[in-house]
Amino acid sequence: MNNGPIQHAARRHANCVPHYPHTPIYAQASTLVVVKDLHHPDHAPRDGHTSTPADRFRAAVEHGAHLLPAQGPINVFIHHNTLHAFEALPFETAVAHGAAVFGCEPYLTEARYRDALAKGRIRFSDLREVLADDLGGLALAPVKPHGTRLDLRLAMLQYPLAGGTADELRWLIAETDALTRVRPEASAAARGRLVSETRRWVMRDLRGRNGTNPAWMRDLFARFGLAGIETWPEATWEAFALEALWALCREGARATADTQAPAPPPIRHRDLLLRAGAADTDLWVHDVLTRFTAAFLDQGVSHWPLPGRELGYFKSFCALYSHSGGPPDRWMAGLPAEARALLAAGTDPAAAACDALAALGVPESEWDAFVGATLLPLRGWAGMVHQVETRGDRVALPVPGGSLVEFVAVRLLLEKHAAAYAARESLGDTGPLARLRERLRAAAKPGGPRGEDERAFPVFQLAQLLGWGAGELAALGPDGWAALFAEVDGFPALARRRAFHLAYERRFREQCLDALALHAPQKPRGPRFQAITCLDEREESFRRHLEEVAPDCETFGAAGFFAVPMYYKGAGDAHFVPLCPIVLTPAHWVEERPTGAEEEKARRLKQTRRLLGSVSHRAHVGTRTFAVGALLTATLGVLASVPLVLRILFPRLTARLRGRLGKFVAREPGTALRLERAPECAPAGAPGHLGFTVPEMATQAERLLRDIGLVDGFARLVFVIGHGSNSFNNPHKSAYDCGACGGSPGAPNGRAAAAILNDARVRARLAQNGIAIPAETWFVGGYHNTCDDSVTLLDTEGVPDTHRDALRAAGRDIEQTCARNAHERCRRFMSAPLTLSPQDALRHVEGRSEDLAQTRPELGHATNALCVVGRRERTRGLFLDRRAFLTAYDPTRDDAHGTVLARTMAAVFPVCGGINLEYFFSHVDSPGYGCGTKLPHNITALLGVMDGAASDLRTGLPWQMVEIHEPVRLLIVCETTVDIMQKVLDGNPMGRSMTENGWVQLAVLSPTDNTLKVFRDGAFRDYAPTADALPAAASSADWYRGWREHLEFAEIAPGAAGVEHV
Amino acid sequence: MSDLAQFGSFLGALAILCPFALVVILGLPALAGAPVTERAADRACRCLIATGLAATLGVLLVMLATGERHLVVNLGNWVTIASHGGADHGHYHFAIKFEFDRLSVPLALLSFALCGTIAAFATRYLHREPGYNRFFVLFSVFLAGMVTASLADTIETLFAGWELVGLSSALLVAFFQERANPARNGFRVWIVYRVSDAALLFAAVALHHMTGEGDFDKLMAARSWPDGQTTLTEGQALLIGSLLLLAAMGKSALVPFSGWLPRAMEGPTPSSAVFYGALSVHLGAFLLLRLSPLIAVSPPLAVAIVAVGLLTALYAHLAGTVQTDIKSALSFASLSQVGLIVAEIGAGHWEPFMWYVALTHLLGHACLRTLQFVRAPSLLRDYRELENALGARLPQQAGPLAVAPGRWRAWLYRFALERGYLDAVLGDYVAAPFVKLFKLFDRWERQWTAFLNQEGASDAPARPALPKPPPDERPAPALAPAPPAPEAVESGS
Ligand SMILES: [Zn+2]
Repeated sequence: MNNGPIQHAARRHANCVPHYPHTPIYAQASTLVVVKDLHHPDHAPRDGHTSTPADRFRAAVEHGAHLLPAQGPINVFIHHNTLHAFEALPFETAVAHGAAVFGCEPYLTEARYRDALAKGRIRFSDLREVLADDLGGLALAPVKPHGTRLDLRLAMLQYPLAGGTADELRWLIAETDALTRVRPEASAAARGRLVSETRRWVMRDLRGRNGTNPAWMRDLFARFGLAGIETWPEATWEAFALEALWALCREGARATADTQAPAPPPIRHRDLLLRAGAADTDLWVHDVLTRFTAAFLDQGVSHWPLPGRELGYFKSFCALYSHSGGPPDRWMAGLPAEARALLAAGTDPAAAACDALAALGVPESEWDAFVGATLLPLRGWAGMVHQVETRGDRVALPVPGGSLVEFVAVRLLLEKHAAAYAARESLGDTGPLARLRERLRAAAKPGGPRGEDERAFPVFQLAQLLGWGAGELAALGPDGWAALFAEVDGFPALARRRAFHLAYERRFREQCLDALALHAPQKPRGPRFQAITCLDEREESFRRHLEEVAPDCETFGAAGFFAVPMYYKGAGDAHFVPLCPIVLTPAHWVEERPTGAEEEKARRLKQTRRLLGSVSHRAHVGTRTFAVGALLTATLGVLASVPLVLRILFPRLTARLRGRLGKFVAREPGTALRLERAPECAPAGAPGHLGFTVPEMATQAERLLRDIGLVDGFARLVFVIGHGSNSFNNPHKSAYDCGACGGSPGAPNGRAAAAILNDARVRARLAQNGIAIPAETWFVGGYHNTCDDSVTLLDTEGVPDTHRDALRAAGRDIEQTCARNAHERCRRFMSAPLTLSPQDALRHVEGRSEDLAQTRPELGHATNALCVVGRRERTRGLFLDRRAFLTAYDPTRDDAHGTVLARTMAAVFPVCGGINLEYFFSHVDSPGYGCGTKLPHNITALLGVMDGAASDLRTGLPWQMVEIHEPVRLLIVCETTVDIMQKVLDGNPMGRSMTENGWVQLAVLSPTDNTLKVFRDGAFRDYAPTADALPAAASSADWYRGWREHLEFAEIAPGAAGVEHV
Repeated sequence: MSDLAQFGSFLGALAILCPFALVVILGLPALAGAPVTERAADRACRCLIATGLAATLGVLLVMLATGERHLVVNLGNWVTIASHGGADHGHYHFAIKFEFDRLSVPLALLSFALCGTIAAFATRYLHREPGYNRFFVLFSVFLAGMVTASLADTIETLFAGWELVGLSSALLVAFFQERANPARNGFRVWIVYRVSDAALLFAAVALHHMTGEGDFDKLMAARSWPDGQTTLTEGQALLIGSLLLLAAMGKSALVPFSGWLPRAMEGPTPSSAVFYGALSVHLGAFLLLRLSPLIAVSPPLAVAIVAVGLLTALYAHLAGTVQTDIKSALSFASLSQVGLIVAEIGAGHWEPFMWYVALTHLLGHACLRTLQFVRAPSLLRDYRELENALGARLPQQAGPLAVAPGRWRAWLYRFALERGYLDAVLGDYVAAPFVKLFKLFDRWERQWTAFLNQEGASDAPARPALPKPPPDERPAPALAPAPPAPEAVESGS
């Protein structure tokens, strides 16, 4: 693999603030070709004789589309692996490819890792072990002048080696004390050795025979005054040693050839033109394309839809731009005539694109690479065209298939005009366009190897750090120098960052595994109530606090749709939304309807709301027209200052007032879910199919209970609590909601699951299948708002009178839990004081969720890092710092094939893995893989956000969401045996590939004892704990209070009452 | 002067002082390399803006109590050049003078209220942003400029405020200076503002030349707004009024300068809200209101203003109907109202009551639009709530234009989508000839120097003819062809 461009990318960004936007370096031809072969190993060679060029062009576009972001419309945000295009490759190779193709960062910057090293987040021993593992037997290979390869690499990791272009280095040497003082990080021993060794060498070998010395040495002696050499003070010797060292390093660099290959020339005309000093044609092309694509995809922001949208991208574009008297932009002068001709001839978009490629002089052999490189500069928009075209069911206004091909065709058309104009006007080049690239490549100065100074400077610094004396270096000889440069160049920035990253993950992995290995299982006897929540890592703290508040309760984690996949429409909603993971397509429609007695009231309320809605919509549209707008702004405008000031200055108060007012106008009528299918309804699978049959309900209920291992020992009350997140001014709101509900709030699923489990007929069927739910057990649905930490219990009016007291008591526990949970969350908000009380914390998070100005209403999945699949008793009482997805799974109740585990893992790999990897990449390169800072975001076409007025569509997560994230790959710990895990992986190709390629880390925890095995290099290997005991604290609050950073895992309340140690 | 009136003057001075104190408090520590903390910046903004607002309200109360409709705070002459050519030539004096009247007090109140609210918004919105301090320094400069411009009683004072607003706006557009687009667009805003500033400066010079001073109260014959009467002749009023109209057109993004408005959405949401939704974009209209006596005496000027206003309103309405992103849609909606406000001001020539209408319209529009701008990121949520209330997808109301006959429809749509080609037109017909002309001068100068050098050093060997122009001096295809060097935008931040 050629890693030239990667190093280039790394060097470019070495000094960037990590989350700051930069212009990506676009794909290089050679890497794209490599990627294609790796990515599609089984890509059949296309037959050049039977298919037409247009077919081959379509195939090239389809191929390039794999590189595009897979993010759909922003209002249904689905987390997925940002580098999905390279998922078939090992992780480390894939991030390197990503860096080359997308111009993004592969890992954190070295400075960030060094900072982690300084703070103890990475231990020096981790670094040493990672390097030793990597090097194997070569770790102790000697490196001349002295030391081992391991020493050299450790030094290169530990200390930043200043680098830069020849001009930067010249400045550094002229303006800093680089040649008078040894680097301050060098140890006293290294410094002493360097100076004394040089001194010995000079006094013994050189002083007497200056005549035979090389010119630079004679020059040095002249400058320092050879005559007084015996009386040179220490500082002079230091400067002399450095001067000599620097001169030697340059000599050495001069004597050895640079092994690094120059970067290949760019493939696109635009890049070549830019390099030749012409205008940036992408600026012109993007200006037109961004505007037109947004108009084409618009889902309802504009009042006037694109005329001829139904004709498709290409035709509507040609129709729009075929009239003369259009834009006076000169580079587009030839476009109207060409568009007219294309329309008149009825040219197929792909054929038009082939013509454009021919005109641009791109031979068919280059199409794949060229089309790929053409797609990437506006990859957000191209990706969205592709998404809307392929998943038309997810948008209100779908677009015809083949739109991406047409998008590329239009782009090539524009590029053709732009390149010709730029070459003519900027460079005076009037030759044929088809040969423009050749002319530009020939004229360009070849990007040759690095200069001597650039290569010599790292060695110069290493010599100081490792205490290599000038005499030792002088004795190296050409072969010695070549070997030394090969050593230093053999550990480039990418490899250093990879090593750092492995050490960073190693530390975290050991901490997690130690905690699980040392923790004694605990389980309450005869629980007072049970609670099932989503497996979401945000519920980890909620469950832990609930167990601390009520030690006699038991909690479970399940995927938050609670095995009830459905299209759901609330009583006040306009549309059905799918509430299930994205991989499922629900076959059932469920509606919330007012209960019988309240129907009339609900109808009136709906009418009022429709009237109010209609008025406010008219007003909303009206303020954007001028006549109504004038009337409204002139008469009522000043009144807008009241909500403006109130909402911004007193968000929480305003929300309360609004709630009060809403209640005053009309109380929400009582409702119920129409869960059961009425006989007259359409058959299963049809859109009109409302509800489930009883057997279907029983199947779902059994699925849920068996998955989490709750098949006996039912408490009198069982809560099923879905979750969602409420916030204002947050285009990415959907990304904070429940992922298992397809990025929507999961309240209806909790409510539906409880209703199903309370149904006597369902219970009868469950009893037949061996799950006997006692008659005195009652299920209650609930909704946890993870932003303001409120829990709403649903359908409580149906709870039997016998359970009222128990419900009230449990409700009080839950309320207290909410306050404690808010308190724990507040330690991560820099704007929340560390001295808040739990009640203050609750008020603080309530304010956050209502605040228009709040860019961090909550922190989402920012702390995710670990996933434990197993019984709660294995983690109960452990402070997991909101970092662990907790999936309940009871290995003792599963069969020898791991049937239940296989079901669970089928969701864990894509869902938890997707969340983890999306956060990973959005943090590692926020402007590249993520969507940068939220502040200039601008919602466009109701599909996504742009930066400011016109930019590429920004995909990924905003910096404010991932800011505190620690990018480590998900560590999945499964309570099962190696045998069963192997079987599960055999039946799950995606999981196997993710595990083997290192996209997740996998370990198994023995169901019978505390031994752990970690998957590495194709097999599960024993894990030896590195600690003997865990820290302990009396309560969660005692452990986390006063800290803002990630915390170590600890034992909470060992020996609390009511808890049995298993 | 009664005690109450004196107290009023004191309050007036306090109101003017507050924003400048904010600039100093936020700006000086940053210059010294130790920017104030987020908390301190927040507190300083709250205190000083609240004080400024209270002081302005106090002035209003004093004015109501005393019945005085025109209160002047005079900080004296800063430059005085004694007359030398006889009494009729007059002398020059540069007074820093502020007035509180029916026009300036509402605008100052608006500036304080909106800026205060937006400052509170921004302290949370920009939390932990690396450019936090820079934002608030620029913000305070903006506020100082707004207050100075709205309370100015001389054209020089107004110009000073006008410049501060322009400078801070351009720098705030380029707030995310590490990306190319904001820097480029900030630069474009800056260019348009310079044209507008030049027009205002010419107007100030012309005013001095004609009346001997730039004081508004003299110009208005010491009567309070809007009853002022100018002593200028109709021709003089037309000349000065046209220059002021040009200045207003640039600042308020009226046709043909509208191209910068959507481009200015590059900054963080609060700056878009306060500059383009609320205050900055209205400053041009305010300038015309301030000099309404000129409109009163010159019918051609009034017609021109009405025409520019209506044209802008139409244009912005048309462009606004096809915008697909919320901030551009709002900025064009904003512009169409500003166009109407300007047209109302022009109409004041025939019906002075229209000036009050324009003022009310301006105030109401500023408040409403600010609310809409800060809520812009909630668009998805708001649409969903509306859809739920209506029980159906939101209807798209295309308006009468969408039913134009086919050919026209496509043409109109493209005209709107391309934002009326205004940028390209300005680039081709204004910037390009300008650049060409100056290149010609440059060539002449080079030839002239070469010629002189040859004269002076005749014994020297013959020099090569003309040095080849560096490659970046190629013909400009657009207004600002090359990406501006970041320093150009950063300087002064
Ligand atoms: Zn969930």
